[in-house]
Amino acid sequence: MPLKEAVELARKGSSYAKRTKYREALAYYDKAITLDPKYPDVLVLRAAVYIDTGKYREALLDCNKALALNPNSSEAWSRKSLALFYLEQYDEAILAATRATTLNGNDVTGWYVLGVCLEEVGRADEAQVAYGKSLELEIILDIQAESKKVRK
Amino acid sequence: MRTEMPLSKPIRRLLTQTEELLDTEISLLRQPEAEPGGTLVDKYTYDIDTNVIIFPAQYVGLLKDFIIAKHCTFLLIKGAAAEKKEYRVCSYTRDSVYNGMRQIYIDALKDEAKKENKLPVQKLIQMLFILFTHFNDDINEIPWNAINNASVYHRMPKIRKTQLYHIMKESKNDMDEMMEQESIVPRRYFVLNKAMFYARDMFLAKTLPADELMPVLNIPQMKKFNHLEVKEMLTTRWTHTAWYQSKVFGDNMLEIIDKPLGLVRWNEPPSLDYFYDLYKVGRLVTDNLLSYMTMREWFVWETPKHILDAHDNNKAYERDALKKIFGDLITDTLEDA
Repeated sequence: MPLKEAVELARKGSSYAKRTKYREALAYYDKAITLDPKYPDVLVLRAAVYIDTGKYREALLDCNKALALNPNSSEAWSRKSLALFYLEQYDEAILAATRATTLNGNDVTGWYVLGVCLEEVGRADEAQVAYGKSLELEIILDIQAESKKVRK
Repeated sequence: MRTEMPLSKPIRRLLTQTEELLDTEISLLRQPEAEPGGTLVDKYTYDIDTNVIIFPAQYVGLLKDFIIAKHCTFLLIKGAAAEKKEYRVCSYTRDSVYNGMRQIYIDALKDEAKKENKLPVQKLIQMLFILFTHFNDDINEIPWNAINNASVYHRMPKIRKTQLYHIMKESKNDMDEMMEQESIVPRRYFVLNKAMFYARDMFLAKTLPADELMPVLNIPQMKKFNHLEVKEMLTTRWTHTAWYQSKVFGDNMLEIIDKPLGLVRWNEPPSLDYFYDLYKVGRLVTDNLLSYMTMREWFVWETPKHILDAHDNNKAYERDALKKIFGDLITDTLEDA
């Protein structure tokens, strides 16, 4: 179980990240990691901020650390695939995205990144399957979001 | 291109092609509260140096790609016209607002004469300008929407299923628009407004062949459309709206849209001249729709800056038009407001 204080710091960091206040978010994530270095979720959160700010190597390092702590973290595999995509390491990105979507079949980004990377390496038919899955999930999420709006 | 998100190959190619043809830069922006169909903020409309395509933050895959494709196409059309110093939009002036509001008022009076529950005068007065601007928004949107969709369909075969979903969703929203005001809005305008959307939907249904767009997706909410082609899907929907009795207007408008667009060669190599030709077709469709609705005196083709200024002055235009229509009778009402 992660330390309570570290979870609270991570939560604060995420609220900044959502508003694209990345510097503040990173400061909270750094504190949380210092406090509890064996808390994989916060490493994944920091990796997401690194990706959004173009620091793909740092993101990859955090994902690998998180996976060393929890090899079944679908989020960590998903972020790793994204970082690898940006680093143009498509074959490794395909492996990571495949792992992410196996662990969590509802990972829209995972399926999409898988499609993009497969397309990059010329595996067009497999890419179409991954895109199809990603679209299916995206539409379901969109329909759910629309119904929520209507209910409001 | 400035972006921090993964993009599929055809979309990256389209973005690069657009930037190269127009010698401009495009930024992509995710926003939680963005319009479902995305928004294009471009340098041909606003006084800015770059172009931004904004889309909902939750769109991370092909839904985002389709929005980018659609807005890139519109950007190319606008840019091509702007390069020739000919980019214009349907704007309005003090006089044209008067023409429009006066015509709506006359038609509203005819409707009111037949009604048992009369609309309060204050509401009727308020409705005139709201309805006028509603048509201004729609006429600036519908012809281009049809063109952008047809172009994306022909140029981006890999995102056709995504496109189908967008069209179904957009069509549903447009169909619902104005329904709550059905009893208030003069019949003629309710029918014309719905007819424009119907015509666009039917044009798209005709353009997008069913076999490729059959929604085979395993989505419960889409299941009801299984084994229906696009045309059937959209027609089935339209027959359930209160509007359907006036289908004849929609069919006439479909002909107006279909005639010039049917001649377009959608797969021509992309060039500025090609997109400028699309712009001219869009203007022709717009003019023909306005003529059919007898609204040629309502709007003027003007620069994008003109319409932004018109929006800034719209309260004054409305007030002046009301004074011209009602004379001294209206003064007290306006002062009260």
